[in-house]
Amino acid sequence: MTDVALRGVHKSFGENPIVRGIDLDVRAGEFTVLVGPSGCGKTTLLRLIAGLEQPDAGDILIGGKRVNDAPPRERGVGMVFQSYALYPHMTVRENLAFALNLRGTSRVEIEQRVREVAEMLELMPLLDRKPKQLSGGQRQRVAIGRAIVRRPDVFLLDEPLSNLDAALRVQMRGELARLHQRLKSTIVYVTHDQVEAMTLATRLAVFDQGKLQQHGAPLELYRRPANRFVAAFLGSPAMNFLRGRYSNGHLAGDGFNVPIGALSATFDGRDLLVGIRPQAMTLAGPDAAVLRGEIEAIERLGNEGFAYLKTPAGPLVARFDGGGAELAVGANAGVQLAPESLHLFDAVSEEALA
Amino acid sequence: MRAAALLALLASLVAGSSAPVAAEPLADTRARVLVWHAYRAAEEQALLELIARFNASQSTYRAEALALPYDAYASKLTAAIPTGHGPDLFVFSQERMAVWARDELLAPLDEDAIESGREFPQAALAALRSGGHLYGLPLSMKCDALYYNRALIQTPPTTSDELEALAIRNTDRAAGRYGLAYEANDFFHHAAWLHGYGGQIFAEPTHRPQLDSSQAIAALAFVRHLALEDRALPEEPSGTLVAQLFNAGKAAMVINGPWFAGEVQGVSYGIAPLPIVSATGLPAAPLLTVEAALVSSRSPVQAGAKALARFLVSTEGAALRARVGRQVVATRSAYTFPDIGNDPLLTAFRAASEKAVPMDNSPAMLSVWEPEKRALVSVLSGANSPTAALAQAQRRMLAMTRISPPVQSPWPYAAIAAMISIAWLAWRRRLSLKRVTARVSTRRGELMRAILYCAPAASSILVLVLVPFAIGIGLSFFHRADGHYTFVGLANFIDILASRDYRVSEPMSFWFTLAVTLLWTVVNVAFHVSIGLGLALLLKNPLLRFKGVYRVLLVIPWAIPNYITALVWKGMFHRQFGAISALLSALHIQPVSWFTGFSTAFAANVMTNTWLGFPFMMVVALGALQSIPQDLYEAADVDGASAWAQFRHITLPLLKPALLPAIILGAVWTFNMFNIVYLVSGGEPGGSTDILVSEAYRWAFQRNEQFGFAAAYSTLIFLFLLGWSAISRRIAREQPLENA
Repeated sequence: MTDVALRGVHKSFGENPIVRGIDLDVRAGEFTVLVGPSGCGKTTLLRLIAGLEQPDAGDILIGGKRVNDAPPRERGVGMVFQSYALYPHMTVRENLAFALNLRGTSRVEIEQRVREVAEMLELMPLLDRKPKQLSGGQRQRVAIGRAIVRRPDVFLLDEPLSNLDAALRVQMRGELARLHQRLKSTIVYVTHDQVEAMTLATRLAVFDQGKLQQHGAPLELYRRPANRFVAAFLGSPAMNFLRGRYSNGHLAGDGFNVPIGALSATFDGRDLLVGIRPQAMTLAGPDAAVLRGEIEAIERLGNEGFAYLKTPAGPLVARFDGGGAELAVGANAGVQLAPESLHLFDAVSEEALA
Repeated sequence: MRAAALLALLASLVAGSSAPVAAEPLADTRARVLVWHAYRAAEEQALLELIARFNASQSTYRAEALALPYDAYASKLTAAIPTGHGPDLFVFSQERMAVWARDELLAPLDEDAIESGREFPQAALAALRSGGHLYGLPLSMKCDALYYNRALIQTPPTTSDELEALAIRNTDRAAGRYGLAYEANDFFHHAAWLHGYGGQIFAEPTHRPQLDSSQAIAALAFVRHLALEDRALPEEPSGTLVAQLFNAGKAAMVINGPWFAGEVQGVSYGIAPLPIVSATGLPAAPLLTVEAALVSSRSPVQAGAKALARFLVSTEGAALRARVGRQVVATRSAYTFPDIGNDPLLTAFRAASEKAVPMDNSPAMLSVWEPEKRALVSVLSGANSPTAALAQAQRRMLAMTRISPPVQSPWPYAAIAAMISIAWLAWRRRLSLKRVTARVSTRRGELMRAILYCAPAASSILVLVLVPFAIGIGLSFFHRADGHYTFVGLANFIDILASRDYRVSEPMSFWFTLAVTLLWTVVNVAFHVSIGLGLALLLKNPLLRFKGVYRVLLVIPWAIPNYITALVWKGMFHRQFGAISALLSALHIQPVSWFTGFSTAFAANVMTNTWLGFPFMMVVALGALQSIPQDLYEAADVDGASAWAQFRHITLPLLKPALLPAIILGAVWTFNMFNIVYLVSGGEPGGSTDILVSEAYRWAFQRNEQFGFAAAYSTLIFLFLLGWSAISRRIAREQPLENA
């Protein structure tokens, strides 16, 4: 088992800085998910680890060894590409055996390892097919099989599920989790999907604009986001934010004044950015409501739902229990919030406040 | 119904295209006498002026001239006269006179013979006689004489010993100066030495060509001595080179005909008869060609054509042709005019023509040129001794003048052909008739429209491809000799495949040529693909700048007509003056005589054709390379593939679907790449670098017009390529189609 470390890694394409000074430790045996919106540099980071790109500055260490100058094949990594990049002219068997053949592994051993991987990924009946004759999920499994058949120290997966339909994605997510349990190897997984990130990751690294925003266990990040970006990025629907000045248990802004409960006295008179997850903001009757607004959209999920409101404090998403049959778009509704679930951020730096 | 009307219109267009278009002018009701000629410049001007005078001089006939390109002139005449589309009067040398006379294309002019005897030199009239009849009135005489640069030569040589001494004295190879320059590898110019050494082209009394007589060997040895021992002649001389050297003062003497005077610029020169050969005391008598006015036997206005012919050779006509056209006219009385009688050029060539030997006008003469040329080239390049080369030439000439295979009845062949076609039709019927008829009956209107849409393309394919193809195949069962076709069944094929008359290992054998053709194809395609692919890989390199510029530059060889490229390369391969020799000299490497050995001549051809062929492969490979996703290389990179392994396992297999059809196509093109072989090596040395198509061409157009034999050659080429396409289709089908 091998760890991966990035030390002050920079990478620009032309004038465009893509990765801007990343320090990251991926512990051995961990399933680390790099997550962030499109263009945040997460795929570039993965390619830097794989050796498909060269860093402009900083060091990349795999198993404690600096590998900046090592070509991909010498880094002991296996990679699954977003497009799968299966060799179209080779059968599944040949795709799986390709790397082993290049290393001059004996025929018997190749046979045995291909079979082992094929059984694990249920590819046995497909071994003599060409990639074009496979479905998306099957191709995806071949791509994974091609990476693991070499038994690399580190697996790099670049949005491997993004080309699959929703149902298959959920299924493959489960399979990936089981695979990690079984292989217990170090995995670096890139996705823009926070559900994948939350469900798969041992530890999560959130990126934005080429910078690491926060790195830690998924729940820790969910519960204690380090800044507004992480807070907004994780969780669905996204966190609500109220911007205003705090005094005397109230947050007052342009046209609103919401009681948010008592905070430490140090916040008195200070501009804050207050985050409340929709799950902690519920629709309430007129007497309990702290803020009112017009319902713009309703998402009914069955046993609960979310109402999208236009309020003086800005757009908010609030949860409701049950079917919400009584709700109507255009109607007025009030919300209440659970003061113990507030996330406080500095209004200017948007960093979390202790 | 509209479709039917359109079809009718189309049909009338096709039919109408062959109808006469030009309308006769109403004013002139005189009978038209059509004159064909291949004259240019001053000679044409003289002819046109004479025709104008003729038209003005009488009221019965109106002559009209048509200039034809020289290259196709003879075959046009042969084809047009029998069908009545030819001229009434035409200008041609005696070269094909016997053939045309035998085929009754020419009207005899015997009534003119008696008075002609006084007016024209006997040699000129002899040239125009065949089978006891006179077939033309001599216009001008063309033979070689010796041009000398007065600045270098004060007194022209009278003997061959003097000529040799002068040639040696005036040769300075370091300065690029030669004592004597002429197209020594052309038998027309060499024939003078043959005559000077007492030899003749035709042996009597059989009147068959005899190329390896002892006199012929002596004559060739003399020229060999001049070229290789004295080193007084430029190597691989062409007409252009001779003119360049003489005009630059770098050739003291030139042997050439009267036409050469027009090419000389800025040199003060004299013209002398060719010298007497010292060894025999005989004059080096050049070959005499006589340009004559010939009357078509099919002409409806023979009387008018004859009247015009007489006018052209009259004193008045001859004088004008001498003055304006600068022709060495045959009419004696023209020389009584002082300006003509004292003209140094005209008198010099007139004197030369008196000693000249008229070129034989029988068809056997046509089979002499190619073997003689090959012999001359091989001896002058030092590859062969005169004795061996001429022995080879003699065998070659005999093989070329094939003895007619026995005539066979065509009926058994027709029966077999009919049976095969019936069987084939029946088989096709069983397969597809049901479906076709079902479709036809349900959609009659659509079928009409479909036929209409296809008609233009289909009819042009029919006329341009299928009909010539069928005629070609049919022709291969005939033997053409003396202008007549006889059905000989498979004899042409048997003669070709059995390599009759020559050993399998000789260049004239089909199998030898086939082997050369295969080698030629494989080597070329290998170079095309490897260079094309290599350049495509370079151009694909993302770090390379100015890609667009390179791409355009590299496609240029493909965009230039290939015969132009071939001629350019031919010039570059010249032993003394070519760019390649200059380059080798600059690198202190001995220049190579490219066309004297098989391997170098073959290499020269291959180089030229590679230059032409790689851009196509490059373009195909570049397109295919760009369609290979980059992430496959990244995946392979991660999988541990080196650059070479990536090329072998990713690039090559993924290029195959695009490259394979290109290779198959390229192989067919190269297999039939006539232009390069014909223009660059011309089959040298000794026909060994000829490929099947160029060999087929030679049989058709350079060896007694053996169209049947050439057609059989072409049919074999076709069958071979048919087999190749069947095999390659199978190879292509084995290709995986699943490639993304």
